[in-house]
Amino acid sequence: MAKTFWLILTVAAIVWYSIVTVYVAIKGAGDIREMLASLSENSNGNDEE
Amino acid sequence: MTNFNWLVDGSIVGFYLLLTMAAGLYVRKYVGKVEHFLVAGREMNVYLGIASLAATEFGIVTCMYTAQNGYKYGFAGATPGILMALAMLIIGRTGFVIKPLRDSGVITIPELIAKRFGPRIRWAAGVVIVLGGLLNMGVFLRVGGEFLVLVAGIDPQYLEIMMTVLLIGVAVYTILGGMLSVLVTDFLQFVVMSAGLIAVTVLILMNVGWERLVNTVETTHGAGGFNPFVNAEMGLPFIVFNALLNFAVVLTWQTTIARVLAAKDSQTGQKIYTRTSFFFVCRFLIPGIWGIAALAILGNVDNSLEAMPRMLVTLVPVGLMGILLAAMLAADMSTDSSYMLTWSSVIYNDILAPFRRGRNWSERTGLFVNRSLVAMIGIFLLFYGLWYPLKGDLWTYLGVTGTIYLASISVILIACCYWKRANSWGAAASIVVSAAIPVTYLVMEQLDGTKDLAKAVGPYYSGIATYLLSAGAMVAGSLAKPKSIDQEA
Repeated sequence: MAKTFWLILTVAAIVWYSIVTVYVAIKGAGDIREMLASLSENSNGNDEE
Repeated sequence: MTNFNWLVDGSIVGFYLLLTMAAGLYVRKYVGKVEHFLVAGREMNVYLGIASLAATEFGIVTCMYTAQNGYKYGFAGATPGILMALAMLIIGRTGFVIKPLRDSGVITIPELIAKRFGPRIRWAAGVVIVLGGLLNMGVFLRVGGEFLVLVAGIDPQYLEIMMTVLLIGVAVYTILGGMLSVLVTDFLQFVVMSAGLIAVTVLILMNVGWERLVNTVETTHGAGGFNPFVNAEMGLPFIVFNALLNFAVVLTWQTTIARVLAAKDSQTGQKIYTRTSFFFVCRFLIPGIWGIAALAILGNVDNSLEAMPRMLVTLVPVGLMGILLAAMLAADMSTDSSYMLTWSSVIYNDILAPFRRGRNWSERTGLFVNRSLVAMIGIFLLFYGLWYPLKGDLWTYLGVTGTIYLASISVILIACCYWKRANSWGAAASIVVSAAIPVTYLVMEQLDGTKDLAKAVGPYYSGIATYLLSAGAMVAGSLAKPKSIDQEA
């Protein structure tokens, strides 16, 4: 049973990590764009003040 | 003998390094205030947070000792990763400590501690955190360098020069762009690191095979290689100690909690924790499999820490070797940059707080000081980690330096958030006890008159005692302080 547990966990780890890597890569790029845009906006707002 | 090819693999590594430097330097124009430098203006969202947390908490040192765990203990060696994943999941779901911490708007943990226990405890906490953190980090460069030298087949006489050049590159974008550069480069490093880890793991499973890995563990470690409770070198004390340790790490390790503090709000911080939690299973299990593969291929070796890199040298072909090296460099650079920034932020925000009070430093001055601190930490790392060789067992060293900080700060933070009776006496007592026990244990291990006793006690019972007595000291110290003095304060 212990061997089965580690087999399931290993497969889960590889599959999860592969999917998350692709998903986070796509979504994370969007987060970076938003973050930099927001910082730019705030900075322009402060300049106008 | 290595499969590293300077033309093919060297080009892959070179391209990756250039891309990282360019990205790190590009965002420096967005840094206008200290808040941008330290916590990216608190504009970090979930997926960037996940990438950054994962990249920061996986460096070459992590890969080395988790692989060593796999080599020495089989699959059971991944148990600390499972415990950390559980801790992060529970804390993320419940918001235990991290919700009030993020909602308070502080930049560092000592800043929150000051609100309850006063500036002196804040200062003491800051000192303990930075001391533990810097001593802990001091070994990263050398261990990382030794891995790269082994895998790339570089002449060891160039180790110091190579790591110096790498550190300077990391320091440049960290100094200029702060947390913004760290986040953007962490993101790139996460993608490259993950691709390398997955590719090499698949290669190992295809070449070595699951059956052979399992048979190797069974032959070498027996049932203890699959079940930590029956492993002669682990058992219940190991599980309990690692449960406490990882719970404390998730709550208080500054580089981890920094992702919560940089998040848009506490809800985002909690999501980052919950959704990253399973990564910590991967963090131990994947390199652990590499370690088991090293055992299967190489058998017994003199230095178990070197088993995994020596195995990779024989297995990984040209092309993939370049990706692997880029992946490991990515892992190391993300860790180094985050750690340098983290400890400098605690120095600036907490240790220098008494000197900043009443002076009203401008944003420009604040940025200059922060950048100088990062540079000084980089210099410390070079001399402590590279040019002054360390002696002794690596994991014990990391465990002791970590526990000095973790035991007291986790107790203080929990009390700060949830126990109204907690006060500065309890906090001070907790800090003293938390430092005294692990240091005493380490000294006892070295002295002829006490090393047998230290061995009989063992690191796990010593560690458990540190956490329990630190909590006891918080309670006893707090209750000992007369209420009249407490109310005056």
